[in-house]
Amino acid sequence: MPTDERMVDPLLGFADALPAAAAADARGPAPMLHLLTFALDREEFGIPVTQVREVIRVNGITRVPQVPAHVRGVTNLRGRILAIVEIRTRLGLTEAVVTPASRIVVVEVRGRALGLLVDRVSQVTKVPAESVAPPPEEVVTAETDFLTGVARWDSRLIMLLDLDKVLLVN
Amino acid sequence: MPESFLVIDDSKLLHQMYRLIFSQGDLAGSTVHYALDGREGYGLLAAHPDLTLVLLDLNMPGMNGLEVLARREAERLHPHVPIALVTTESSEDDEARGRAVGAWDYLRKPFQPSDIQRLVRGAREQRRSRGAA
Amino acid sequence: MKPGENPFGDLLQDYIVECLPLAEQVGDAFVELERRWRDGEPGEDLLASVKGRLHTIKGNSGMMGLTPARDVAHALEDACGFLGRAPESRGEGAAALLVAGGGLLVDLIGTASPDADGGPASDFVERVRKYLGLAPGAAAESDRRQGERRSRPRAGDGGAASNVVRIDFRRLDALLEVLGEGLIQHSALVDVYRRLMRRMGACEELGELDQAVLSLQKTLTRLESTLMETRLLPVSTVFGRFPRMVRDVAHAEGKKVRLEVTGGDTSLDKAVLDRLSEPLLHLLSNAVAHGLELPEDRVKAGKPPEGLLRLQAAAVSGRVAIRVSDDGRGLDEAAIRAKAEALGMDTRAADTAQLHGLVFVAGLSTADRVTTLSGRGMGLDVAADVIHALGGTIEVESRPGKGTAFTLSLPVTLAIVRSLIVEVDRERFAVPLSHVAETVRAEPEAIRQINNQGVTQWRGDLIHVADAGAVLGTREPSGAQRPFYVVMTAGAKRRGLLVDRLIGHQDIVVKGLDPALGRPAVVSGTTILGDGQVACILDVVRILDGAAHAN
Repeated sequence: MPTDERMVDPLLGFADALPAAAAADARGPAPMLHLLTFALDREEFGIPVTQVREVIRVNGITRVPQVPAHVRGVTNLRGRILAIVEIRTRLGLTEAVVTPASRIVVVEVRGRALGLLVDRVSQVTKVPAESVAPPPEEVVTAETDFLTGVARWDSRLIMLLDLDKVLLVN
Repeated sequence: MPESFLVIDDSKLLHQMYRLIFSQGDLAGSTVHYALDGREGYGLLAAHPDLTLVLLDLNMPGMNGLEVLARREAERLHPHVPIALVTTESSEDDEARGRAVGAWDYLRKPFQPSDIQRLVRGAREQRRSRGAA
Repeated sequence: MKPGENPFGDLLQDYIVECLPLAEQVGDAFVELERRWRDGEPGEDLLASVKGRLHTIKGNSGMMGLTPARDVAHALEDACGFLGRAPESRGEGAAALLVAGGGLLVDLIGTASPDADGGPASDFVERVRKYLGLAPGAAAESDRRQGERRSRPRAGDGGAASNVVRIDFRRLDALLEVLGEGLIQHSALVDVYRRLMRRMGACEELGELDQAVLSLQKTLTRLESTLMETRLLPVSTVFGRFPRMVRDVAHAEGKKVRLEVTGGDTSLDKAVLDRLSEPLLHLLSNAVAHGLELPEDRVKAGKPPEGLLRLQAAAVSGRVAIRVSDDGRGLDEAAIRAKAEALGMDTRAADTAQLHGLVFVAGLSTADRVTTLSGRGMGLDVAADVIHALGGTIEVESRPGKGTAFTLSLPVTLAIVRSLIVEVDRERFAVPLSHVAETVRAEPEAIRQINNQGVTQWRGDLIHVADAGAVLGTREPSGAQRPFYVVMTAGAKRRGLLVDRLIGHQDIVVKGLDPALGRPAVVSGTTILGDGQVACILDVVRILDGAAHAN
């Protein structure tokens, strides 16, 4: 049945209530970055909140035969077809197993909307811009190509994803 | 109790015009929030559940007025807040589309201060009859 | 609002600060467009970028009571809107008009005052009106809207009232979308009815519900056909510009050509028609440039110096057939063979028809790839893709020295397709009914294996049968043979596809493939089923083609 159950987490549905504040914070004397953070396995990743349109629960992903690698399939987002990217395999991990905690982060890159399938989404996090460093050399994995940096903050290690590079599959 | 309003329009000139309008008569003293694009406007709407009225421009680059309304509708964000869609020209089908996604009323440009005052009066009526939150 | 009484008069400087840079950007864009169109580039992105700016200028000028600037911006908006829809009109004349308007707009805003002389502005608006009025099929955005509003009261007038209304095609699209939702909801109703039936068994109320749902479906179907009819346009609306274009190409190539067009009143859905014009144009240009010989060569071959190019359209059993034929030299089989071999293909066993079919293969047709006005690369392979994407087929026949003919077969409408929903390994797919000949229960012994291919007798013919799981790459190809097969057809080709379940017939709203999905060879689109889940639509033409080549 077409569902009108809320697919948006109340916590995260207004993730972009912050862009105005985000812009202001980015300009201040101690600039802050507003990140949407999510987990893949036990690692935490972050993307700028300004690139996020919304976060939704997973409500069925239809596989499409013969699509490029890292495209998991498509889903129905309020009557529109949204392509879902298997970000895990893109970063060299195994395919996602969908659990009740799984979420789709709907991002907008170059005017197009795409969904990223992630294991868990955390709070929107503000980190000071100065806590961001280039990816450490000792952590050399396939992932580092896709990072714009790493933020160490509040005993967390958040890897900042370069969405353009990650989604260059297209 | 001071009233608050929200203007979502990509033209700074329009913001100036609204400032002028909201500084006169019984609107003087109210708080007006301004947003230059749909995304920011949506965030401000989310942050302020007690707005008397929202003035939302239809044609904006990025997230346009209909998209803001559609999203608000889908997420059931503050449904009691009246949102008026502001547009340069409109046909009945534009108006129907707007109402279909929850526009409370429609305002055509060019408008006069009296048009805004009329909308505000209507919005206050609406609040009273609904028993505002 | 009279000038001088504008409540925002004090904001004149703010108006200029905001709108003058916008007008200057628009003016610059127009100058750039003039250059691009001179070089044969479409400038699509530039056209799109000025629209928003013009709209803002129009609105702001209106608010300030500055009518001349508002009117000029409005006229430019209309002109750009028209040129956006009619790429073939993008030339010197159009560019000159835009550049003039841009300059005027900058002047009007820069010297903005409530008492400005409206003369130059109204002259320009007239100029744009004339320009749009001359071009075939053009209608200014605002005129169209005003046309709608005016035509309503007129219809009730009596007297010289016309029964015809002008309507923006997008309204029909919107209506179709709503109908599409209605169809999804209807499917949902059917789904719940079935589940209730299973849970509760038959009863009087359920019987009535069944009748009601059935009536609803009939009504929706009637609504759909009525709506589809409103979207039909005669192909002449697109064919109309071909004679001039063919003349241009002939002139450039030094050939003499006569174009004969028949069947212009054949109807096609506007959406199909819109996407068809570029491939058709390519076929025609191709025929002139490559198919037809130079006049002196034709005379040597005993033909009249003027080549004959025919464009024919006709309705044929629920579809539309369009044929582009010429009496030129025919396809150069040796050249095709050579190009194919160069690409590594073995053409020794190919018969004539297969050889000719190779012209649609990418790589072979790159020699005649051109860039259309809208910036797309067009070749025979791209044309074939576009036609397939529309649910159509294209075939070519040729005889050396006599000529070439391309035959297209197209569905009359595009947006809502009756389909058979099937299930394979718990995945659901939609198969357009126009490509389904029959569904058959697969008796285990009926399907034999010959050369590792399943074959079976069907209506007296031997047809190949493939496992849908294998064709569609589902996750759990099962060892056991599936219980049903669907006989798919495309043109003369037939093939059976083994599936697990036949879920039923459904009217589905076709949604395109997101570009992120690339170009999967077996899927032509997606749709949303009654339960909100997405299902892929099988590209039967491609599947049968692929299978044919694999043999």
